[in-house]
Amino acid sequence: MQLLDTAAPSPAQRRPGAARPATRQKAGLWRRLWAARWSLLYIAPLMALLLTFVVYPIFGSLVYTLYRWNGIGSPEDFVGLDNFRQILQDSIFWRAVGHTFTYAIIVVPIQLAIALVLALVLNNKKLRFSSFYRTLYFLPVVTSPAVVAVVIQLMLSNFGDTLNGWLLDAHLIDTPVDWLGDPDIALGIIILVGIWQTLGYNLVYFLAGLQTIPEEVYEAAKIDGAGRLRTFFHITVPLLRPVGVMIVILAFIGSFQVFDLVQVLTGGGPFFATEVVNTYIYHLAFGGNQAQATEPNVGLASAASFFYGLMLIGFSVLQVLIFRSIFKRRAAGRA
Amino acid sequence: MSPLNRRGFLAASAAVGGAALTNALAGCAASSDTAAPGTTTISHWDWYVSQEPWLENEIQLFEKQNPKIKIKRTVQVSDKYPDLINLAFRGGEAPDMLMIPPSPKFEDQVGMGWLRDLDSHATAQWRGRYPEGSFFNGVNMAQGKVYSAPFRSSAPWLQLYVHNGLFKEAGITNKDGSVKLPKTWDDVTAAAAAITKKTGGRAFGLGFGNAQSASLPWWVELFVRGAGSPAGYGVDGPDYRVGKWTFGADRNYADFLELLLEWKDKGYIYPSSMSIGDEQARAFFEHGKFGMIVGGVWNQTTWSEHNFDDYSLTTLPSPSTKPKAFFYYPPGDRVWAISQHSKASDEAWAWFDWLHSPAAGQRWVEAGQGLSAFPTANKDAKIKSRQFKAYVDTRKYALPWPVPAIRNPEVSKVVIAAVKPDLPDVLAGLYTGQLTDVKAALTDLEGRRNEALANGVKDAQSKGAKVSLDDWVFTDWDPTKPYETKPV
Repeated sequence: MQLLDTAAPSPAQRRPGAARPATRQKAGLWRRLWAARWSLLYIAPLMALLLTFVVYPIFGSLVYTLYRWNGIGSPEDFVGLDNFRQILQDSIFWRAVGHTFTYAIIVVPIQLAIALVLALVLNNKKLRFSSFYRTLYFLPVVTSPAVVAVVIQLMLSNFGDTLNGWLLDAHLIDTPVDWLGDPDIALGIIILVGIWQTLGYNLVYFLAGLQTIPEEVYEAAKIDGAGRLRTFFHITVPLLRPVGVMIVILAFIGSFQVFDLVQVLTGGGPFFATEVVNTYIYHLAFGGNQAQATEPNVGLASAASFFYGLMLIGFSVLQVLIFRSIFKRRAAGRA
Repeated sequence: MSPLNRRGFLAASAAVGGAALTNALAGCAASSDTAAPGTTTISHWDWYVSQEPWLENEIQLFEKQNPKIKIKRTVQVSDKYPDLINLAFRGGEAPDMLMIPPSPKFEDQVGMGWLRDLDSHATAQWRGRYPEGSFFNGVNMAQGKVYSAPFRSSAPWLQLYVHNGLFKEAGITNKDGSVKLPKTWDDVTAAAAAITKKTGGRAFGLGFGNAQSASLPWWVELFVRGAGSPAGYGVDGPDYRVGKWTFGADRNYADFLELLLEWKDKGYIYPSSMSIGDEQARAFFEHGKFGMIVGGVWNQTTWSEHNFDDYSLTTLPSPSTKPKAFFYYPPGDRVWAISQHSKASDEAWAWFDWLHSPAAGQRWVEAGQGLSAFPTANKDAKIKSRQFKAYVDTRKYALPWPVPAIRNPEVSKVVIAAVKPDLPDVLAGLYTGQLTDVKAALTDLEGRRNEALANGVKDAQSKGAKVSLDDWVFTDWDPTKPYETKPV
């Protein structure tokens, strides 16, 4: 579990009496930095962007959580921790959290299972046009979710009539269905689109992982008489595990951040039936809907955002701990 | 071909980057003022899209008349406009001429030094071109100084549009074969039933596009006003007769919503109405998927672009044939202002004066954009469209109503916090069956809205504002007559 064991002691630290004088450590650090100067130079622009557009806003908006502020001028109306109290007491926020978790819990396992199966198929060197299929599956990923959502919305509204006609003729429904306007169906449609739209990412990750498994291992298994299923469960799965853990974590984080699909497809409606946390925050920060131009409250949105950020960090840490515990237990079992 | 080494790659990267930077800088230089010597360029910001042909024509006419002034127009996204204009003022890049953003409050924009005091140009003589009672503190003036001027006038902002083809197919016609326009709630129900039945499921009686919770509130607005609820869907203020929102106490709201749900249960409403947006609904109406839709005069612009004119309109359908309340508007108007920081304020004023001329107003009406602030422009305009003429004729149903901020300017210090769920949400909840008790949902909303007003007043009072809840009460207001708000 290399990816999760970043805190593992280095060989130098493991040596008894390995403490070095501070100056030698400093010189060593400087030497290491100098040796990695080109790598550092190349990651510098990304780090600068990350610091400016991710790290700074996170801490910058922390101040706003203490104010009632419409985002124009300077915040002056200090409300202390009242924004956090409001968020915690808002049933719509908790409903949005519920929808977000439902989305993630359904999307991630289904999507990963499909992505793994497809990756196994596409990894077959004998498969013709495999590059074409890879491109085909990856295409939705590079298409803007907003564009995807607009097209899906148009399809459902235009073809919806036809679809309803077929379903009515087949006596599967009694009344026509309002595909995105029915609270019992709308979230399901968003989940389906979500599975399809980001499938390509996980497919590529799994393909990359599969290609790191040495061919000789498979050959050895074949010589030993292992069948396909046995090879899959005893070679592919264990060797794919480090990459797989990262894919699971990233897939959950991505799903928890779902926004554009929901915003364009349903705007979180009808009556918050598809509201996820990010659309909830967006509506607080930038006003309500078209019919009711409400005063935005950036302070409240910042509080919701910060609180949700903490929830996600907690969830990610929990995931890592669970995986680590599982792997430790397995390692102990093997020993 | 020699392999690319690190030094070579860096050199190539630097060359490409340098070239890109040079191009970018050249681009910046090219986008700066390129007007001929002696010509002043005025920057102008607005969010007009469907009104663009009219505005572009005005710019052309103005520049022809004033060859030494050029207008550099920038169209901004309407819902981001307040943020963009705020950033522009903060960054010292505010346009010379601007559309006044809906937020922050007009008084705050003046207080922050965004808007230029126009008193030196907008003299009493200049203001004399407008009807009496067009300039008010809190509307286009602040602390007795003029900062903007009326541009538009009001007619009912919502109409019930009917599809002539479907009405005729369903036999809803007068003796002369013309379409029989529904006047009452019962007429609408009967027409919806006839269209749904006679078209054999090909079309529905009614339809809307509520994907972003935009248009269901319009139905409430249009139908309850006719029933005698002057606050409509309550977006512009409470019922000023009592100074409160009365969604629960006034039975018209529940009665209309029960009727709407009955229409839905009977299958008169286009089934995908909650999935589609208003633009799609407009297109579906045009293609005869349903016979009636509620919308504003902006619908007409879209339909005339598509050469669709097989429709008619009416407004304020009521339980009885005579509407008991109308649409209302505050006296005066404001759309445009000149930036306090404009370095070409005289030229900006010339442009401002042009837009606020009766001639420009007449062209606005003739372009089918709405009504002008100048009664002569509305009267003299040569209107080609039958439907736009019908819209202009409905202006008798728009009256001036009480404005608390005119009677007590301190009212503008009250901030009424948004409530959630608000009316558009509650309507979606009721329509989709997530809320089942109409009366309870409306009463709950009424309570939350009134509480927000009371809290806003209390908050303002604690900060020294001389306001009370009585500032929203106008016991002498008769919703069937024009109201003149007098300053205390």
